[in-house]
Amino acid sequence: MMSFETIVKVLVIEDEPGLRDSIRDYFTEGGNICETAHDYESALQKINLYRYDCILLDITLPNGNGLDILETLKANHHPDGVLIISAKNSLDDRLHGLDLGADDYLTKPFHLSELKARVMAIVRRKSFNGNREIIFNEITVDLLAKQVSVNETPVKLTKKEYALLLYFIANKGKVISKNAIAEHLWGDEIDISDNFDFIYSHIKNLRKKLIDAGAGDYIQSTYGMGYKFGEH
Amino acid sequence: MKLIDRYNRISLLVTIAIIIVTGFVYYLTISYILTNRVDRDLLVEENEIFAYVKLNKALPQVFKSDGLKIRFVPSATDDIARSFGNAMFYNEEENEQEAGRMLTSSVKVGGKTYRIEIIESKVETEYLIRFIFFITLGIILVLLTLLLIINRILVRRLWKPFYRILEGIKLFNLADKNGINPVTSDIDEFRDLNVEVTAMSGRVMNDYQSLKGFVENAAHELMTPLAVINSKLDTLMQVGEMTDKQGEIISEVYHTVGRLKKLNRSMLLLSRIENKLMAERETIDLAEFIDDKLNEFQELLAERGIGISKDLKPCPVTINRDLLTVMLNNLLGNAILHNTANGQIEIRLNQNELVISNTGANTALNEQKVLQRFYKSPESEGSGLGLTLVKEICDSYGYLFGYSFEAGLHLFEIKFQ
Repeated sequence: MMSFETIVKVLVIEDEPGLRDSIRDYFTEGGNICETAHDYESALQKINLYRYDCILLDITLPNGNGLDILETLKANHHPDGVLIISAKNSLDDRLHGLDLGADDYLTKPFHLSELKARVMAIVRRKSFNGNREIIFNEITVDLLAKQVSVNETPVKLTKKEYALLLYFIANKGKVISKNAIAEHLWGDEIDISDNFDFIYSHIKNLRKKLIDAGAGDYIQSTYGMGYKFGEH
Repeated sequence: MKLIDRYNRISLLVTIAIIIVTGFVYYLTISYILTNRVDRDLLVEENEIFAYVKLNKALPQVFKSDGLKIRFVPSATDDIARSFGNAMFYNEEENEQEAGRMLTSSVKVGGKTYRIEIIESKVETEYLIRFIFFITLGIILVLLTLLLIINRILVRRLWKPFYRILEGIKLFNLADKNGINPVTSDIDEFRDLNVEVTAMSGRVMNDYQSLKGFVENAAHELMTPLAVINSKLDTLMQVGEMTDKQGEIISEVYHTVGRLKKLNRSMLLLSRIENKLMAERETIDLAEFIDDKLNEFQELLAERGIGISKDLKPCPVTINRDLLTVMLNNLLGNAILHNTANGQIEIRLNQNELVISNTGANTALNEQKVLQRFYKSPESEGSGLGLTLVKEICDSYGYLFGYSFEAGLHLFEIKFQ
């Protein structure tokens, strides 16, 4: 079976080398392209020369403000998706960024899996061919109807299971930590997501529903750290 | 006791004491002067008697007089010393005894010694003294009243700058950006006080701001390294071959970084609430909001077998949505997390209050400590800032937040006002 692959081209504008490299490593696989820029000037150069599906933009950069880059992009009517990544969890920054036309805003520190899921969501929204469906082997997700079917057979998922499946597919082939899953499903403000028993039962239910509908067994636990979605 | 009352009491007591002493001295002086005058009259009378005796060689005839009585008494002895003394004066007209002054002297008429007793009534003197006494008393009373009123008005006016400064200090709030308003006064002491208080509030606020800025910056600065650690862990997890032990360690590190992150975010949020940086508000129906939240938590509730009983009346509140989310996440999160398996959560909402109560440990939490920063139950893995955040949010909207333990239920209650 063929899995539907979206090849994405991403630019990471981030001055912190450790974080930049991690993001690049995480995003570069399966034909995806991830370029990097470490400061204001090099970032401006890149966005003037190339187009990207999504630009990951740090607001605080050496020699400049990331929001200016966003303004340049919008002034030139470039269609690139923009995801702001900032250490400042300030509503002003967030609103300002979104006002300027950013597609999403993520506060540091974040899980790479969360970042990937957000980027994929932006890319999907931006794509011209109206990518209303995500297909992974025999699993089809209808994004508009929020319907999941396996080999054309609808599978009834709860809201959380649906979100979980999307999250898994966006990060297919990657190990996702239990923390990241808990935060994705319940938000990161509550301490309650530290209790991971219920994640296990969620995943168990999702897995069972998919297998019962005839899908392969794609979810596996990895060394107690987290879960991985994909073909073995 | 107010300064003015204390001052009035002292000044009143001192004034009264002085007036009493003065009155006494006054009385004695006047009485002495008047007695002297009477004595002089008596001497004049005596001289007249002597002059008459010298001229007529006989005792003068004694006439009845209003205020004067003269008596001649034959005496056996010659040596009668001339002396003044107090005596009673019998007033026949009034038919009563009056205080009087008596001069005892002697005169020789035809070889016979007579004792002369001249008594003059002092009643008029007494009247005079009494008159003077009452006038004085009246003046004293008027004086005291005036003094009291003037003190009150004057002192109150004089102290006005002080009370304004005091009011400023009372209203002084570190979280507010504006310090103590300067008060103008031409009195040096108050001006000094004002300058010092204003300067002090400025210093305190500066220190507080820089301290808060430091905390906020520190928390911000920590976010980037945390992001690096987090991303490196994410990357490390992708490494294929690993033992279960290694996986477990990574998991623990990941988990701990997560706690650090939450702690940091809570600290940042606290400082932003205190800095009033969460000003946007919208009107939200709390009942609806709570229902949504419960929906969100339904898997958690089901997992632990916790039952919900709710009585939600429509209750629109004007509040920042993010803060409301934080508040309810914490309250409901706590109610779930610190509950017993198959426990119960009760939610009661009306226009006046929101009460969330849950079963849990069978002993009450320490009411004071529970709202303290970084206080948490030993088994809790939380940041210890959850309820502090709730309290802080309630404070910023003027809600009252309280905890109590009743009939095995932990009650967290928010009173809207």
